[in-house]
Amino acid sequence: MQYLLQKMVHGLLLILGVTLVSFILMVWFGPDQTYTLIGKNATPEQIEDIGRQLGYDQPFALRYANYVGDLFTFNLGASNSSGEQVSSILRKTIPVTLALMIPGFVLGNLLGIALGLTAAQHRGRWADRLITGLSVTGMSVSFLVIIIVLQVLLSTPYGLNLFPVRGWQVGDPLSYFRYVTVPTLSLIFVTLGYNTRFYRAVFVEESGKDHIRTARAYGASSASILWKHVLKNSLVPITTRVMFSIPLVVISGSLLIESYFGIPGVGKVTFDAITNGDQPVLKAVVGLTAVAFVLIQVLTDFVYKLVDPRIT
Amino acid sequence: MTCWGKLNRVTPYKQKIIAVCLSLGALLVLSACQESADVQNTANDYSIYRHSMDGAPASLDPAQASSIYANFLAVNLYDTLYRYKYLARPYQLEPNLAEGLPEVSSDGLIYTIRIKPGAHFIDDPAFPEGKGRAVSARDFVYSIKRQFDVKTRAQGAWLWQDRIVGLEDWKEEGSDYDQDVSGLKALNDRTLQIQLISPFPQLTHTLAQGYSAIVPREAVEFYGKEFAIHPVGSGPYRLQAFDSARAVLIRNADFREEPLSLEAEGYNPESHAHLGLELLEGRSPPFTNRIEIEFISEDAARWNSFIAGELDFIKVPVSQFDQVLQQRDPPRLESSLDEDYHLLANLESGFVHTDFNMDDRRIGYHPDKTQNARNRALRCAITKAFDWQKRNEVFYYGIGQVFPGIIPPAAPEFDPGQDMGPVTRDLEGARTLLTDFGWNAENLPVLEYGFPASVTERQMFEQFRSFMGEVGYPQEKIRPLTFATYGDYARAYLNREVMLTTIGWTMDYPDAENTIQLFYGPNSSPGSNSANYNNNEFNRLYRASSGIQPSPMRTTMYRNMNRIVLDDCATISGVSRRLILLWDKSKVMLPDRSFLGGFFFRFVDSVQHAEEGNEAEQ
Amino acid sequence: MLSGLYLWQQLRNDKSGLAGLSIVLIFFVLAVGVWAGLLGQDWSVASGARWQSPDANFWFGTNILGQDIFQRSIFSVQTAFEIGIVVSVFSTILGAFLGAIAGWYSNSWIDNAVLWLTGVLDSIPFYLFVAAVAYALQGKGWAMHIAMIATFWTTTGRLVRAEVMKLKSREFVLSAQAIGLPDLQILSRHLLPNTSHILLVQTSIAFVAAIKTEVILSFLGIGVQNGVSWGLMLAESTQEVLAGHFNNFLAASGMLFALLIGFNLLTDALQDAFDPNQAAL
Repeated sequence: MQYLLQKMVHGLLLILGVTLVSFILMVWFGPDQTYTLIGKNATPEQIEDIGRQLGYDQPFALRYANYVGDLFTFNLGASNSSGEQVSSILRKTIPVTLALMIPGFVLGNLLGIALGLTAAQHRGRWADRLITGLSVTGMSVSFLVIIIVLQVLLSTPYGLNLFPVRGWQVGDPLSYFRYVTVPTLSLIFVTLGYNTRFYRAVFVEESGKDHIRTARAYGASSASILWKHVLKNSLVPITTRVMFSIPLVVISGSLLIESYFGIPGVGKVTFDAITNGDQPVLKAVVGLTAVAFVLIQVLTDFVYKLVDPRIT
Repeated sequence: MTCWGKLNRVTPYKQKIIAVCLSLGALLVLSACQESADVQNTANDYSIYRHSMDGAPASLDPAQASSIYANFLAVNLYDTLYRYKYLARPYQLEPNLAEGLPEVSSDGLIYTIRIKPGAHFIDDPAFPEGKGRAVSARDFVYSIKRQFDVKTRAQGAWLWQDRIVGLEDWKEEGSDYDQDVSGLKALNDRTLQIQLISPFPQLTHTLAQGYSAIVPREAVEFYGKEFAIHPVGSGPYRLQAFDSARAVLIRNADFREEPLSLEAEGYNPESHAHLGLELLEGRSPPFTNRIEIEFISEDAARWNSFIAGELDFIKVPVSQFDQVLQQRDPPRLESSLDEDYHLLANLESGFVHTDFNMDDRRIGYHPDKTQNARNRALRCAITKAFDWQKRNEVFYYGIGQVFPGIIPPAAPEFDPGQDMGPVTRDLEGARTLLTDFGWNAENLPVLEYGFPASVTERQMFEQFRSFMGEVGYPQEKIRPLTFATYGDYARAYLNREVMLTTIGWTMDYPDAENTIQLFYGPNSSPGSNSANYNNNEFNRLYRASSGIQPSPMRTTMYRNMNRIVLDDCATISGVSRRLILLWDKSKVMLPDRSFLGGFFFRFVDSVQHAEEGNEAEQ
Repeated sequence: MLSGLYLWQQLRNDKSGLAGLSIVLIFFVLAVGVWAGLLGQDWSVASGARWQSPDANFWFGTNILGQDIFQRSIFSVQTAFEIGIVVSVFSTILGAFLGAIAGWYSNSWIDNAVLWLTGVLDSIPFYLFVAAVAYALQGKGWAMHIAMIATFWTTTGRLVRAEVMKLKSREFVLSAQAIGLPDLQILSRHLLPNTSHILLVQTSIAFVAAIKTEVILSFLGIGVQNGVSWGLMLAESTQEVLAGHFNNFLAASGMLFALLIGFNLLTDALQDAFDPNQAAL
């Protein structure tokens, strides 16, 4: 019980910290949306009016207090650019981002685990060297390059022209497949190198442990050793990595992919809000990201207990 | 151990992991299916027009229709009093919701306009019992008043700023909609009257803009801020879907009947015969049932989408001109494309120019007379060193039209015979000016060239720098002043912080008054006079010409003002881009991508649909 | 503490590590050449025709303005090294400092504060952070560096903290305390040097991360402002690639790839040299 309370306090402090820092960034350093919202030939009075409408003239402390209050009562307000309720924007875009990123994220990790296991199993031999070489190569290519190349190869007449260049008009599994494939492939390409290296190292370390040697001495087959013993016992580091890469891959990664492929998800909305200075949207996204981050940390501990009863 | 036995041993945690995986999978599938599908098989449905825009509107509220994209949507979802003729070029005003051109009093101050009967707002929950009502003149009054209400965050107020009697007072007294404005009245349901403070010949043009579109008060109050994504209008289309990637418009079946007369719209057999527009004669728009507009700002994606057959219309990106055109002047399509597509090469109604900030003493006005003259010489030297031909060649494929001054070719007052000297490169002249006025590599000021960060803008900057290098301007003294977004850039130059500002101006109406006002002293920042130009003679001529109807005398005054600006070298100006528009031959239309062009949507039809329509009528 | 000699002996036997090191050194020499004003100085001169193919004058051809792609690629090496070195060195120093303090005073308020700070910085969306800093510093190129340093130090910080926590119960530390040496001296003279293997590896990793991040930031327009970088070249190339001109793209992505793979091989070799069994992050 005390543990849970302690975690909650930590989480709260973290959320406050994130919101404060982000708010400082947005308010003092962020773009002034006033100048995007005025028309031609604006008078100084009109500019002031809009500034007042956007709430720019209130003191910092008051605005921050309002922000935190709004966040905890889920009063997210409306976008300054389009007038749409932020909650409605999020409701429409978060499922899109999830549908877009989850396949790539899951596959990237599954493949990474599989390749890492293979490399660890044949450690030192040609399979290991090949996989390691490929993953180093994968880590050395820029995300941007991958996106451009895949788009040219798969979606334009210069290449195979099999998939749409951009967009997200998904209504049935078939159209979903058409629109999600190229982004998913890009995501897998980018993350696979890092994932494979990490998992390989984890499995190599695990394989060197005593209980594995014991199992081998008892005549257990290579495959069962790998699957039953190595994998099971590596679940803690695997879980850590998966859980902690969710914010990085899903939230940050989606920003680039959605901008480039024109997919109306949370990442694109966030990026537009960052460049426009649309504070209501930014406040909501930052707040929610902080909350998600804290939740993930709590959940990670929980998952640890599930996979490894030894952990208290 | 039997198989079943082994299964039995799936421990609780494994079960939980499997459960998580399954629910993730379910979430995936659910998300995919939940995407509301407007996706019909569009390939064979010929009453759909798939349009593409190279940008997206932020808001569908007409009061915020400041971009060309928003304006396009506003004039189709709502009614404006006036529009422009479909086919006539140069553009000519045509009544839209109004019944005829306005009745103007002899002193030019009172405009009386009657509106047509039978215009209806669409059905919407905002109205009692969800039924749309008839449009009345009071709605027009309300719509213009909105522009002067702080809560609207309107962007179009400048069109009527200080023009209409009583409107500013109304705003100062708190923008109470139940309070009347003396210069903006609805005499009855179908007649409205506007009283101006001083003559304003361009007023009727302003009533053809998206800003003046007629909105119902009930909807604005019902939806509040969300009115921007919930349009309720009386236009030829209503909105079915809208997000950052696309908009879908559905034909408004209750739109008033107005049979199309090609001749009245400016049909000219020479230019229009090959378009097959005769099929549309006598039928009442809107013709197409459904319009899908894709917002694709990335050139690559837009072009690929068009070539793949996903779009019926495209404004061709400049990088593709090489591949699309087999001949530049006059532009002609590659033979392979010629079979399937029509081509239209339109000069934009607007122009691109680089202003010097005259408020900046390093390059602009200086209280000391000698220094003032030296600054002017420097500006003129820079202008002479600018290579318009190369700029045109690299960025506009050589088919843009370069012209001297601030009256672009699209304006009726443009002088095609004027002296091209100011835009012809003259390196010798530039160097002479510099030496004559004592400028050399040591005392030349650092030039700060402002631009929003984008690939093309950066390339233009680098090209500018190399132009200056050829006349001896030290490269380190030409520095980029970048801004992450256009809004940021606007803030800087509207606060007079940028030394050289490159801007594109889109004309709001086909009248040079719209561009001449860019250099009128009192319009300086934060107004549109970004050069902060202030010349007494220019200002005097502007005031003298402002109430006058378009006429040869006014044209002469405008051309004089043009010369004054050129003499002062206040701006390096300019070029009007030529747009290449392509559309599928199965569509019968004359498209337009200018600010004034949004009205063409209602006249779009497909060949098959038009032929069937004609047969049905016979 | 690991001596340079020991490190070199380990590396010598690692063929791929040597390859990586040589690649990095070659690029370093190029960067120095540009700094010294010997190479790549004409990167902004528009002397050629538009989109020329590679020939004797323009080894990689020209871009839309007629600028020499080869010169631009070479100049970008300097940009990459400048960003890489500044970001990796400063983020490592910052991480080492804060991590050491946190580890030394572990479970005290100092430790909690540092941990809280790392948590906060990790949860702020990175692009929001960079964009905000970019606007604040309005066009001066340091925005990118500062934003990266402020977020990259956290990994180093955590690792150093863990290591210091492990080491501080060791004999040599206890004896130093018994003698009465001040904390700061123990930290700087005895503990930190024992983390040098972590620091070296992290510097290498941060270098790679910095270059990759710059590419994306420049593409988005909030990266390099004055000058040229591979990120800017790639941004240019996205339009050109459509019209069938691939030189810009191939040059930038090729050189970027070469430098990155050199560094990655070097990083791997360093990690193997320090502890062949240690799981790498």
